[in-house]
Amino acid sequence: MNLTVNGVETELVSPPLASLLHVLREELGVTSPKAGCQQGGCGACTVLVDGQPRRACLVPLGAVAGAEVVTVEGLGSLDGLSPVQAAFHERYAAQCGFCTSGMMIAAHAYIERGGTGERATILEALGGHVCRCTGYTKIVEAVGAAARGEVAPADVQADFDPQPGEPEILVKGAPA
Amino acid sequence: MKAVGARLPRYDGLAHVTGRTTYVDDVRAPGLLWTKALRSPHHSARIVNIDTSRAEQHPGVRAVITQADVPQNVYGHLEALGVPADEPLLADGEVRYRGQPIAAVAAEDEATAREALELITVEYEEREPLFDIRLAFDPGAPTVHEWGPVFPHFGPHRQRRVRKGDVEGAFDRAHVIVEGVYRPGAIEHVPIEPQTALVVPEADGRLTIYSCTQAMYFSMGVVAQHLQLPLNRLKFVGGTVGGGFGGKVDTASETISALLALKAQRPVKWRWTREEEFLASSTRAPWHIELADAVTEDGWILGRRTLTLHDAGAYTRFSSYGLTKHAFHHAGAYTIPNVHFDGFVVYSNRVPTTAMRGFGVTSVSYAVELHMSRIAEVLGMDPWELRLKNANRIGDVTPNLVRLKDPSTVPVMQAAAERVGVELRPEYRSMSSEPRSGDLLPEHLVGNAGQTNGTEAR
Repeated sequence: MNLTVNGVETELVSPPLASLLHVLREELGVTSPKAGCQQGGCGACTVLVDGQPRRACLVPLGAVAGAEVVTVEGLGSLDGLSPVQAAFHERYAAQCGFCTSGMMIAAHAYIERGGTGERATILEALGGHVCRCTGYTKIVEAVGAAARGEVAPADVQADFDPQPGEPEILVKGAPA
Repeated sequence: MKAVGARLPRYDGLAHVTGRTTYVDDVRAPGLLWTKALRSPHHSARIVNIDTSRAEQHPGVRAVITQADVPQNVYGHLEALGVPADEPLLADGEVRYRGQPIAAVAAEDEATAREALELITVEYEEREPLFDIRLAFDPGAPTVHEWGPVFPHFGPHRQRRVRKGDVEGAFDRAHVIVEGVYRPGAIEHVPIEPQTALVVPEADGRLTIYSCTQAMYFSMGVVAQHLQLPLNRLKFVGGTVGGGFGGKVDTASETISALLALKAQRPVKWRWTREEEFLASSTRAPWHIELADAVTEDGWILGRRTLTLHDAGAYTRFSSYGLTKHAFHHAGAYTIPNVHFDGFVVYSNRVPTTAMRGFGVTSVSYAVELHMSRIAEVLGMDPWELRLKNANRIGDVTPNLVRLKDPSTVPVMQAAAERVGVELRPEYRSMSSEPRSGDLLPEHLVGNAGQTNGTEAR
């Protein structure tokens, strides 16, 4: 069976009833989707299957043969964060980080289908994604910012780096 | 002061948002075996016989362990602090809670390990379990431990005691005695990352242990003691925890994985299922707290009597420590000069309880704050004023004889009132933490600052 994972077409040896989560993590070593509950309850394993967010732990490989799968590894890179990634980073939406991959995939799908950042629609889009650290506030703020374009991915790294001539100040604008 | 007020990036933020953070489950090890544990289906039972022979012969099984394979089976998380060891790594003769591990299997994959569990036969003699710690002291109550219903090692006492001032006198002088019972329940931590360990036996005889622990040095000590190995044979790799909240202070998965890895001479991973997390992982403790306060009609708390029962679950773990913190905070943020506190760590046939975010203190704060509101209701007094009146001041002495240098109850209450739109009367709005004087220094608090004679806080 074949899958295209983050743009790379791959031939797989896992049996058809193996979960997509198992295939991604154990056969392909794509580890951003997490095994939080493995029963569809926590959302930490969520990936995009042909653009739709799906619980990878509940999807048998055979049901998605030939599909295009995108995980967080495919959303962006260290020097080219996607708007959702940049917003999560800038706005402290990731705490322990374990639910973050699933949250970001759900947020990305929400924006792709036209989500414009109203709180109620964000809550609906993130429904079924469990976070035990943040209390969700920062996550909802980050998704809203990404949806409204209030994030500048290119500036994220620069903003956080020490500025030339300001060696004593870790962050631009911080009190000395 | 580079950090205060600055918007600093999380040092692990970029890794989190790019999926590059390596949690234990993300570490790859060639030749990996997977672990499953046989857990007790009973809350309380005697183990008559265990037979693992069929599991050992099952194709794909590489190691099976029971208590007989553990060099030192019984341990205590606070042994270094003098708390006696009382908990077996794998049940030996008795199971005291449902979900207690009895045997563990390492196999080529999770399904094979699960199959092997089905092939282990255990013969149990079920006993009546104890769930309600209020019944633990009754004659004929089910026995959890042979030494009695409570943890008996608070110095020479069976309970954590605090004695300060003249409680009898306070209750004699009281206009009203306000009583209340408060019972905060157990809470499961539910980290999104389940308990996970990966142990790699190295060619030089060392074990590399990837751990989700919140308490690396605790875990090193616990594993070294069980395995009876010097610390230089253990290399712990950790630091990335997918949520812990106190529940990953217990050393719950590393030791069993290490024993299996040694026996199979292969890397071994044990990742708990969500069901195991809920069934067998430790929780925040449930408590039973009885408060009785000697109160004057104008809202002074002259004295407090407290009886606390702390449900430890089946084993002690950190309970005695949690109860001690509970005892020290049992006056809350208020000055109560005369106190009499008895607190017991009581065993039950529930999962062992453990650390969780201020454990010991949160439970007593919950009780104290509800009780303050109850007192205000009984007196017909404004609950803000009752709290501010009795609030800790500079120089006040806590039940455990700490003289407060910088208490913050007053400014915190004032700020809270402002935030929620409560208008305090001028004398309460202008109150400060400075030492008591005038109307706010009633007779019963005169000399409280120096009142340490004849008190006991052990």
